[in-house]
Amino acid sequence: MSSTATRRSRFGPLFVAPAFIHLLVFALVPIAYAGYLSLFKLHLIRGQMHFVGLTNYGYTFGDASFWNAMWNSARYALMSVPLGMALGLGVALLVNQKLKGVTIFRTIFYIPSIASGIALSMLWIYVFLPKTGMINTALGWVGITNETDFLANVHWAMLALVVMTALNGVGPKMILFLAGLLNVPPELYEAAQIDGASRPRQFWRITLPMLAPTTFFVMVTSTIAAMQVFTPVYLMTKGGPEDTTDVVGYHIYQESWVRFNTGLAAAQSFILLAVIAAIAVVQFRLQKNQLKGYSTA
Amino acid sequence: MRCVLYSQVRITHALLAAFALLTPLACAPSDAPGTIVLHVANWGGAKEGTEDDKRVEDIYREFERQNPDVRIQEESVPQDYVAKMALAYVAKAQPDIMMLDLSSSALFINCGVVSDVSPLMQADKSFRQEDFFPNVFAAATRGDKVYAIPLDFTPMVMYYNKRMFDQAGVPYPKDDWDFAEFQALARKLTIKDKQYGFAFKNWPAGWVMWLWNAGGDHLKQDPPTATGYLDSRDCVKAVTFIKDLVAEGSAPSISQAAAAGVDLFANGQAAMTISGHWDLMTYKNAPKDANGKPKITWGDIGVVPLPHEVPQSQTVMYESGYAITSQCKHKHLAWKFIRYMTSHDVQAKYQFSGIAVSARKDVAEERARASELEASFLPIIPSCRPPYGSKVEGYEFVEDQMTKAMDSVIQNSRDPYQALHKAAQAIDREFAK
Amino acid sequence: MIASQKPSFEGGLGRVNDSRFSVAIRTTGLLVLVVAGLLWSQASPPVRTLLASGGALGGLLALTGSSKRAASYWLLTLLAVILFAPFAWMVLVSLHPPKTPIPPLAEIIPQKPAWDNVKQVLFSPTLPVSRFFFNTVVVTISVVVLQLLITSMAAYSLSRLKWRGREVVFWLFIGSMMFAGPVTQIPVYLMLRNLGWLDTYAALIVPGISSAFSVFLLRQFYLQIPFELDEAARIDGASDWKIYSRVILPLGKPALATAGAFTFFAVWTDFFGPMIYTNSTEMRTLEVGLSIFKNSYGTTNWPLQMTAALIVLAPLLIVFLFVQRFFVKGLMLGSIK
Repeated sequence: MSSTATRRSRFGPLFVAPAFIHLLVFALVPIAYAGYLSLFKLHLIRGQMHFVGLTNYGYTFGDASFWNAMWNSARYALMSVPLGMALGLGVALLVNQKLKGVTIFRTIFYIPSIASGIALSMLWIYVFLPKTGMINTALGWVGITNETDFLANVHWAMLALVVMTALNGVGPKMILFLAGLLNVPPELYEAAQIDGASRPRQFWRITLPMLAPTTFFVMVTSTIAAMQVFTPVYLMTKGGPEDTTDVVGYHIYQESWVRFNTGLAAAQSFILLAVIAAIAVVQFRLQKNQLKGYSTA
Repeated sequence: MRCVLYSQVRITHALLAAFALLTPLACAPSDAPGTIVLHVANWGGAKEGTEDDKRVEDIYREFERQNPDVRIQEESVPQDYVAKMALAYVAKAQPDIMMLDLSSSALFINCGVVSDVSPLMQADKSFRQEDFFPNVFAAATRGDKVYAIPLDFTPMVMYYNKRMFDQAGVPYPKDDWDFAEFQALARKLTIKDKQYGFAFKNWPAGWVMWLWNAGGDHLKQDPPTATGYLDSRDCVKAVTFIKDLVAEGSAPSISQAAAAGVDLFANGQAAMTISGHWDLMTYKNAPKDANGKPKITWGDIGVVPLPHEVPQSQTVMYESGYAITSQCKHKHLAWKFIRYMTSHDVQAKYQFSGIAVSARKDVAEERARASELEASFLPIIPSCRPPYGSKVEGYEFVEDQMTKAMDSVIQNSRDPYQALHKAAQAIDREFAK
Repeated sequence: MIASQKPSFEGGLGRVNDSRFSVAIRTTGLLVLVVAGLLWSQASPPVRTLLASGGALGGLLALTGSSKRAASYWLLTLLAVILFAPFAWMVLVSLHPPKTPIPPLAEIIPQKPAWDNVKQVLFSPTLPVSRFFFNTVVVTISVVVLQLLITSMAAYSLSRLKWRGREVVFWLFIGSMMFAGPVTQIPVYLMLRNLGWLDTYAALIVPGISSAFSVFLLRQFYLQIPFELDEAARIDGASDWKIYSRVILPLGKPALATAGAFTFFAVWTDFFGPMIYTNSTEMRTLEVGLSIFKNSYGTTNWPLQMTAALIVLAPLLIVFLFVQRFFVKGLMLGSIK
């Protein structure tokens, strides 16, 4: 493993300055402003602002539908993050070989993540349709007749969304893991081979640890994205059969752009931020021993 | 060291390129001095390059010809129209004129996003309010104040497939039919695995009329109250009626409709359906059968008011109109543009696509004289209610709850009263916030 | 510890004992075929379909089943079929005559492919498509170039330089990603409006010239570059900037390619920014400008909508193919000096 030699440098802040100034202007200040707004009862268009202190937070804590949405978002994240990561890593390992035509495979895998979201949603609606949808038709070929309307079924809707987004999101994760795999020195494998280590052992003891920074990145960013998921719900289920796919991202969108309760939406966003931050801290702790040997996570 | 120099040079080149690209930051085509630019916002659609769109473009250009020194700048917003208009208002970046969809206009009207044009109306002696259908015009008014001049609209009607009725040997529906007759007709026209009597869609804007025709009202408008209305006996009766239709197979369940993947009526799989004038376009481009013949044509279509238990058939209309924004700096010019767009000649050209019915009586009647199909809409117009969203802010939430309630009744067999009551409570809670 | 240039084939899966594996596969395939044949006579038609597919698969495996290679191909093909379906579907729908509704799966292949649709969209008389293209290229390239520069500098600092407050800054970057979008869109819009940047390139470019996501991504990659290289360079008297530009940037090319590609795709297909921040049609980008088919007078023109989506997608495929060479092993970790 590499040593932890980072040097004290006066220029450190200077290098970060442009990015940090941008962050301040376009992210941190707006977030602070949102924090300010969250203390008010505010209708965006009417423009009247009443100071209400922490009432928005209190209301949200007591709002059962909000916590149902939070639970749905958590369920979604719990299912889609590991699935997406496993798929991404698995596919990366597969395409990391010198097979003929592997470039074409990589391109095909990447296409869903850059294709138009609307087109994708329309297509996946067709996948999930009862009777004539692709899944049910395929089941029909092997002799199983199935009438389930996946997206309208309270048990299946969330799962359908998870599978859809995991498959669509394979591309970027595959690329990230591929780039990460490049940094694993081949000599390590050769040495392990000489020592007689088996393939699975090599994977667990060499590949995964060397991939740790990449894995950490994918895990954190996937979790953040999963907890904020909005587009598939908006385009396909609109909160789903009996609120089973109602997620926090959808709630905040509704509160912000349909009911224009900006203050309440801001409070909800902060509560979501707190939940995501808590999860990130846990992930960080879990990864800490994996990242031993790097100066910080 | 070659790679070192290389990367340095590349970075410099990149920086130079970036600066070169950034300089034309504020570049935009410039107008001649003295030109007034009128910004007109709508929700997109005039840019497809088809004959219809060229016609609209020509209409704009004609206005520019009649008014030199004026340029019409169209701002199309294909998605999130309401959000963008709201933002524009807050940031004081509004266009001069915006098209209003009356079913989501309450917010804009109540909050002063659009301005009252009645002073302009009164000052303009050549403007005649009688040119427009009275209930269509009234939808955008609050007392004496007028917030939009209607452009076009569509009443919601019952379409029926004459060919299917003929094949079943059933006489066409009459204006004064009630729920029982409708149910009987739907039954007679249902052929298992081939066609449904009635194509039901869970779109509240398209089925709320059943509640009215059963004698109920789903919402008190002022102050907005749902409990006692949405869950009233008559509304429960209507929802139960629909549930029974689905249960006995005369109408598809939501899953079954989704399974077809196409509009059932357009695909020749349903004998009756409720929709608006716009769907005539869908039926014009109906899917074709194995012989290449369209599955439904305009000649097959009949129009009749909705079945009613109350003396007069109730229905709703959806309309769009032009409003002058409150931040508009050229109010007189904007008014001139609106007069132009709602004038007889322009309306006659504009409505050529046939998507909607012109809000002007004369143009609508001319088109009705030319086509029996168009004429069948006219008698239904006086009984149209304006969309509730033109008076009730946040009406989308009401429709959301209604969708959920109908979903749970049809897909998950919940008791209609329970479902409606739950929705009503959620609605009241939301409006109390 | 400097990585050698010898290309290696096995990557993370290690080497395999080819002959034993392949024998196993062949035997399994043969077994499946035999079992399918035995059960055939007893089975009902639906189960027969199952047996037939299973048998065919088994037979093929028995024939080819040689190495891990073949297994890889099987898996890749299966995945490719699943993930290619959306693209194929889009192409097929786009070939239907304009204004027709989405055809159900049974009728997905058009009887008379409307090859004209592409022409109709590209050369539409009322849509300035070349202008859209120009806007998109200008905005995307500006953002990618500037963002790579700014975020790589920041990532370098956050991963290889020690200074007070570094961890706080890092967690501020990550924390900013955790705040959901809708509410912050309002202050940003107000700010852009007050700067007079609405409807200009500035509004499309400046908000994107740095991204916490890219900073995080590059930092994680830079952590994997051996720190001894910094040491060696410092001993030679190199400054921080020299180390950044001559050591880290070149070595981090796969990372830059990754971040650059992600940014390129994100900006090229960005819908919300260009739609909200621009009003006039001339300033629109491809993604927004061509979305007009979505809502023509209330009914969506699906075939043209799909054609438009494919037009937006096509250049991205070219970019992706180009960027792929950065992920081929053996090329990258070249030696220093």
